Amino acid sequence: MIEFKNVSASYDDETPVVDGLSFQISDGDFVAFVGTNGAGKSTTMRLVNGLLKPTCGQVLIDGTPTTSLRTSQLAQRVGFLFQNPDRQICCNTVRDELLFGFTAQGVDSAQAIPRVNEMIERFGFDGDAEPFLLNRGTRQLLALASIVVMRPPTIVLDEPTTGLDYRECTKVMDLISELHMAGTTVIMVCHDMEVVGDYAKRVIAMTASHIVADGPTFDVLRNSEVLQRAHLLPPQITDISMKLTEDVPELHQSSIACADTLQQMEDAIASRVEKEVR
Amino acid sequence: MIYLKDFSFKYAEHDNFALRDISLIIPDGCFVGITGAAGSGKSTLTYAMNGIIPHCYPGDFYGSVVVGSLDTVEASLTDISRLVGSVCQDIDSQMVSSVVEDEILYGLENFGVAKDEIPSRVSEALEAMGISDLRSRSIDSLSGGQKQKVALAAIIALKPRILLLDEPTAELDPASSFNVFSLLKNYATEHGMTVVVVEQKIALLADFADKLVIVDDGRIRFDGTPQEVLSHSDELLDIGVNVPRSTSLINRLRKRGLYRGAAVCDVADAVRVCKEVLA
Repeated sequence: MIEFKNVSASYDDETPVVDGLSFQISDGDFVAFVGTNGAGKSTTMRLVNGLLKPTCGQVLIDGTPTTSLRTSQLAQRVGFLFQNPDRQICCNTVRDELLFGFTAQGVDSAQAIPRVNEMIERFGFDGDAEPFLLNRGTRQLLALASIVVMRPPTIVLDEPTTGLDYRECTKVMDLISELHMAGTTVIMVCHDMEVVGDYAKRVIAMTASHIVADGPTFDVLRNSEVLQRAHLLPPQITDISMKLTEDVPELHQSSIACADTLQQMEDAIASRVEKEVR
Repeated sequence: MIYLKDFSFKYAEHDNFALRDISLIIPDGCFVGITGAAGSGKSTLTYAMNGIIPHCYPGDFYGSVVVGSLDTVEASLTDISRLVGSVCQDIDSQMVSSVVEDEILYGLENFGVAKDEIPSRVSEALEAMGISDLRSRSIDSLSGGQKQKVALAAIIALKPRILLLDEPTAELDPASSFNVFSLLKNYATEHGMTVVVVEQKIALLADFADKLVIVDDGRIRFDGTPQEVLSHSDELLDIGVNVPRSTSLINRLRKRGLYRGAAVCDVADAVRVCKEVLA
């Protein structure tokens, strides 16, 4: 479990970038942090993996403060995907990049190599390719694969789909979803509300260094006041549902009022039309 | 106007053409969205429009690219830069100053903008991007989204006739992305600025663009209004281009025989159609 107890942090010891954050993330949770640019979301992610230490309060991982854990101990518990994969990739070949974490932790190559090969096969990587010559989406996938290959119990993702096309985005998010289904705790910052709606189970909305909402995904994404304060727009189907029920009050009692996916909305409209016909 | 005729380009040392047989006309004051799968040639297309190709990237260049009245092969990069303001995909590689205000000043001073005009240009650009409060901040202390707003403000301050933006909202929050697109649309309609945006956020493009261009494997696959292009939603998904959920919903209702009208591009139109279907 990850626990923030009244955490504040600053880069210059003066201006707090996050201020008095308190929340818990249970094992196996899938949480999306959303909100305004500069709200402190990426800073919160750096606090989770111990890249940044709190100026006051405590960040606890399984009950131990991050200030008491060595970097290697933190890396075993929390895998971190940077916003920009080029800040993360540091080896000359794809294979070496995937091996990097094992080497840094002194893991035997007999144990590491089969897991690296599995990743190469799964993503269709060329193990001998030079990472910086790959396109942006493939570099992002490689950065994610080099985290996932270590099988940390928690992964922290700072905008994992930024700059990816539709297919790449689906590939990345399907892998993350699969890890979540297998029990990995997933914490991500994401500006794409369609992705948040499709995958996250819980949303924490931030603005101006503070948390303004924390709850089940669509409870937050249907809260007009939160949407406004955190500069959010709901996913399109949720938006259509909210606008339809606002304009046509008798739809409040129908399944259209709680449709958040394409299939739910299509079925809700079709069944209402069929009912009218009958 | 931007005019590409039978344009093909192969980067030096590459075996395949990055773009092939591109013919495209973008009128003055048009807001154009370009999208496509990764590696389809979108960024190469922008490099052709801002003169980076052929001036910085050598290779085999066929056909012609004319921007305003400048043929990009014959004109100097300096002259093209006065006409076309560009924001590249990697914001960090574009930043040249350490403080926000200096970043905005850099272009204005280098373009020889009159001294008494500079303060108002800086203030207006910062205000337009909603970052007046960041004026004295160190660029290193900004988030990715804030840096992106600074890069946009620096280009907007130059008031170019053509704006060429490669994923300008990739790191912006949803409301800021919407605001940037509203602002760009306003520049196009009110000031006659030509705006060309490469973007993966198809819902924003569908909402704001006058014209959508879909690039697939180095060729233009679709070129038309968002409504025309999005009516090919199945083909778009096949080539790795997403479709707004509002468009998909109405297409599904069409397939079920519940609606016979045209494709829609945004939430407002989808709500209107749903009401018609439910009435």
